[in-house]
Amino acid sequence: MKLVWKLLRQHISLPQLGGFFFANLFGMMIVALSVQFYKDIAQVFTEGDSFIKKDFVIVTKKVSTLGSITGVSNTFSEDDLSEVKSQSFAKNVGSFIPSQFSVTAGFGMDQSDFHLSTEMFFESVPNDYVDVSLQKWHFDKNSHTIPIILPRNYLNLYNFGFAQSRSLPKLSEGLMGMIKLDILIRGNNKVEKYKGNIVGFSSRLNTILVPEEFINWANEIYAPGKQVQPSRLIVEVKNPADENIAKFFQKKGYETEDNKLDAGKTTYFLKLTTGIVLAVGLLISVLSFYILMLSIYLLLQKNTTKLENLLLLGYSPGRVALPYQILTLGLNFVVLILAIILVSWARSYYMGIVSSLFPQLAAGTIIPAVAIGTTLFVVVSSMNIVAIRKKVQSIWMHK
Amino acid sequence: MNNIILQQTLPNVFAERESIVSEVWKRNLELQKGEIYLIEADSGTGKSSLCSYIYGYRNDYQGTFQFDKDNIRSLSVSKWVNIRKHSLSMLFQELRLFSELTALENVQLKNNLTGYKTQKEIEDLFEAMGISDKFNSKAGKLSFGQQQRVAFIRSLCQPFDFIFLDEPISHLDETNGQIMGELLMQEVNKQGAGVIVTSIGKHIELNYNKIFKL
Repeated sequence: MKLVWKLLRQHISLPQLGGFFFANLFGMMIVALSVQFYKDIAQVFTEGDSFIKKDFVIVTKKVSTLGSITGVSNTFSEDDLSEVKSQSFAKNVGSFIPSQFSVTAGFGMDQSDFHLSTEMFFESVPNDYVDVSLQKWHFDKNSHTIPIILPRNYLNLYNFGFAQSRSLPKLSEGLMGMIKLDILIRGNNKVEKYKGNIVGFSSRLNTILVPEEFINWANEIYAPGKQVQPSRLIVEVKNPADENIAKFFQKKGYETEDNKLDAGKTTYFLKLTTGIVLAVGLLISVLSFYILMLSIYLLLQKNTTKLENLLLLGYSPGRVALPYQILTLGLNFVVLILAIILVSWARSYYMGIVSSLFPQLAAGTIIPAVAIGTTLFVVVSSMNIVAIRKKVQSIWMHK
Repeated sequence: MNNIILQQTLPNVFAERESIVSEVWKRNLELQKGEIYLIEADSGTGKSSLCSYIYGYRNDYQGTFQFDKDNIRSLSVSKWVNIRKHSLSMLFQELRLFSELTALENVQLKNNLTGYKTQKEIEDLFEAMGISDKFNSKAGKLSFGQQQRVAFIRSLCQPFDFIFLDEPISHLDETNGQIMGELLMQEVNKQGAGVIVTSIGKHIELNYNKIFKL
């Protein structure tokens, strides 16, 4: 083997191999670093919400001035609904159903004259979307009691705004649950009294919420024949950082209630940037692969007579190809190791900054870089090995 | 391998010629292990072609060559590798030495592959051929006659059923030719092999069983 190597190493060009080495190193490093960086940074946007089990986005149609004047409906039709449902990011879609009758709510003490009342409305969503214990979330026609969920904002507004400024007592959620509201419903020439019972506060649903079964029943009784179309949708999404959500809503002219989709936009740009960097890295890798193949081909070409004579002496094509295959494999391997070392060094630098900005972030590992580097190594090396083997076989045939 | 069979073989380049006067081409003949053959040729009668066909590095011919029952056209690469290592030895007319390796390294390159001769046996062969002082000289620096002897030693460094020598003594004097013949016969008798020698004039003195005119 030593003698074979002594023969075949002739005409090896160090500058060419050096050129390949550095080109391949940079290519692999860029590819590995971009993937690693993406994996490290993307969790900033995606894992922030992981403590909430499900992710919801509330969607409305844009209310424009022109729309207001011309009276264009901003409710969602069946088609709109099924289109949203069919999107890949949507796990489930529910609609807000508004009450079609007039509602007055008030509370006071029967013994005294003190009584407060206000005009208001009800809305409902399917029970799956309610983020409050569903134990009391049930309407019974005979009891004449309606469970109600209020937005947590309302309570906060009272407790930290109104009560604070007027030195009034603060109300806890438990206390609020004890208050019975007097509800008066009018419609279809009927007037009826109900009791309202606050069963919880929602931070997700910014409306006065009653059970869906009540709305369906009451709309039937107090506003029969009226078409009910939802003006708001609640969409359960698979991943709120999915940039397709923002793209889709943008295209349809829908608006979302909170800034949950900002993460999606950021992730989109992160992906875009990573993609560009990755493409550049891959391009460099491909070019370096070309340099290596050209260099090896040139080497084989210059050594054709020697290879031919070795084959005639009884050396097998595999054995003759072996030194060149080991050479490329060795080079590729050194490149892989160096690239991983360089990436982990670069990573330790930026992760210092990231972890001081987002201390809650899991540390993560360098596995993505190692995985992509190894994949690249395996792909490039096996292509090298096959190409060398083919070239030697063509010398065997030499016809 | 016990015999090499030629059936109606002819180099493609001769196919156009109308009359071929040859005891090899366009004939059926069988070369047997243990026999000694001489193929005498004039220039341009296809002697080198014959060598390259039998050694498997050219196949621009018609007819068939067989090793025992196998048509050599259909032999796989690994079979050829085995044949070149264990069954068929060739002393090329153009020698095919590696000029950047020393004489000894050239021989070792083959012997490392087969493990057939000991270092001592190789040294003895160099001694007998009168080139023991050239052990460590680069093959490229040797005269053609010296190179011929190195290539000859190399061709003995393997087990074989047939040994094929293409003009082995074209650049050797009579004494060296005789020594080569003796060394060759020692090895051939030891292995019970067949010998095929070609020449275009001067030929190595052996007890030929048959002489063909190419």
